[in-house]
Amino acid sequence: MTDPAKTEDEGGPIRFMPQLISLDYTVRTNPVAEAFGAALADGRITGHQCPNCHLVYAPPKGFCPICTIETTAEHEVPVADTGMVTSWTVLTPIQYTGQRERHDYALASILLEGADGTVGQQRLLEIPLDEIRLGLKVAAVWAPPNQREADDRGYGLGTAVDGWRPTGEPDAPAADYREHTL
Amino acid sequence: MRDVAIVSFAQSGSLVDIAASETQMLLPVINAAVERSGIARADIGFTCSGSADYLAGTPFAFVANLEAVGAWPPISESHVDMDGAWALYEAWVRLQHGDVDVALAFSSGISSRSDLREVLCLQNDPYYLMPLWADHISLAALQARALIDAGLATEGDFAEVVARSRRSASTNPFAQLSGDVTVESLLAEPYTAAPLRAADCPPITDGAAAVILVAGDLAREVCERPAWIRGIDHRSEAHYPGLRDLTRAGSARLAGEQAGVGTAPVEVAELSACFSHEELLLSTALGLGDDTEVNPSGGSLASNPMMVSGLIRIGEAFRQINENGRHRTLGHAASGPCLQQNLVCVLEGDS
Repeated sequence: MTDPAKTEDEGGPIRFMPQLISLDYTVRTNPVAEAFGAALADGRITGHQCPNCHLVYAPPKGFCPICTIETTAEHEVPVADTGMVTSWTVLTPIQYTGQRERHDYALASILLEGADGTVGQQRLLEIPLDEIRLGLKVAAVWAPPNQREADDRGYGLGTAVDGWRPTGEPDAPAADYREHTL
Repeated sequence: MRDVAIVSFAQSGSLVDIAASETQMLLPVINAAVERSGIARADIGFTCSGSADYLAGTPFAFVANLEAVGAWPPISESHVDMDGAWALYEAWVRLQHGDVDVALAFSSGISSRSDLREVLCLQNDPYYLMPLWADHISLAALQARALIDAGLATEGDFAEVVARSRRSASTNPFAQLSGDVTVESLLAEPYTAAPLRAADCPPITDGAAAVILVAGDLAREVCERPAWIRGIDHRSEAHYPGLRDLTRAGSARLAGEQAGVGTAPVEVAELSACFSHEELLLSTALGLGDDTEVNPSGGSLASNPMMVSGLIRIGEAFRQINENGRHRTLGHAASGPCLQQNLVCVLEGDS
């Protein structure tokens, strides 16, 4: 690839203008995400259960987006660190600067037992890529306690879980995950 | 044209350095606007939001904000990367189609997590001004200087605008800056960007606001004193400030004319003047005289949640009719450096 900073024709019209921009932001972790992160550090996954429709959101949002009512610590419920695969993608890492992945790997959406929505972008471990399937039962492989950092905006599980391994149980029937394949 | 009225308005008030997410901030505000309207959420036919992901530094933050709306079953919605006043405009246009009667417009902004003097540089043209990092306060100061040089205003005039804004804001529970300050004490303060001082510039505010628009007779059924949108228009200057006569707010004048501001007296004008001198420019451009009360809320100098300030101005103009029994008011919104874009919304009560 040619250097985009240079014009193709010296003396010709300027076609590209490199302009590096850096913006600084303060990231504030909201109180709901903070409580979720503290539980993760403790090896627990928690959710908020809507008092109206009873759906459980993990990670918790601090509200039910369907009923549009706020939820607080009093609506906190435990969620299991086991669940099933409802969709997955095999990624082939391209070797750009900073890329730490070297081999194909799989990220999955996982429906945890006790939650009504999936947790996305979870790494699958200990299974050949061509054996991954919908309904596969998995269990969390927790990171060592001192390495469990929650996402600072409350998305996903941060670095608390290294990935998910098959439990060896029979696959869940399609009816159990049909509404969660995306 | 279909008659469309504002029937309810809600705002978060001036939040400072909040820890909540933008969606968490929005949820109670939207709920309050919907509840006050007396209309079932399921009857809202169109939803439009305004926000800028650059403020919080979260890509696609505007999508997450929809979780505060109650978007299941699926709704018809849209988003503008503009102040919520433009979301209101889009909602008004949508209601003109005639097939839906109720619309929700809302906006949110977290100004406290970035340096606005950095982030707002990105609204400039990318070739000439952006590489100079010409920030919004410095550009505003150039406009203030142009007014002084043309003999159209003095620094004392700017200070009087600030003093009146703070005094008016004393009765507004949603204001951030209020109280009694004298022109002399304001003029004794150091410059932030000459000839502007800190008090001539807006505070850093986080916040959210929401309005419900209703078309036709339904507005009278659900609201005792709806505020009818009798004129609404928005206009833009040339993008490059160097091409403009900064001593005039030409696009504000055009928007005001198109919205019919001058066809009858205006009792209250809520102007989105983020800098003190902008109020002088706007009052002239809109032809407002001594019989018009300007910014009884304190205006954007007293509270300035980015992307929300303009919608709040229209909401305050609505409140003047709905709660205070005024007949004809206007709300104004602005966007971009040096009043680059302007929206004017003229509201009238039934009597």
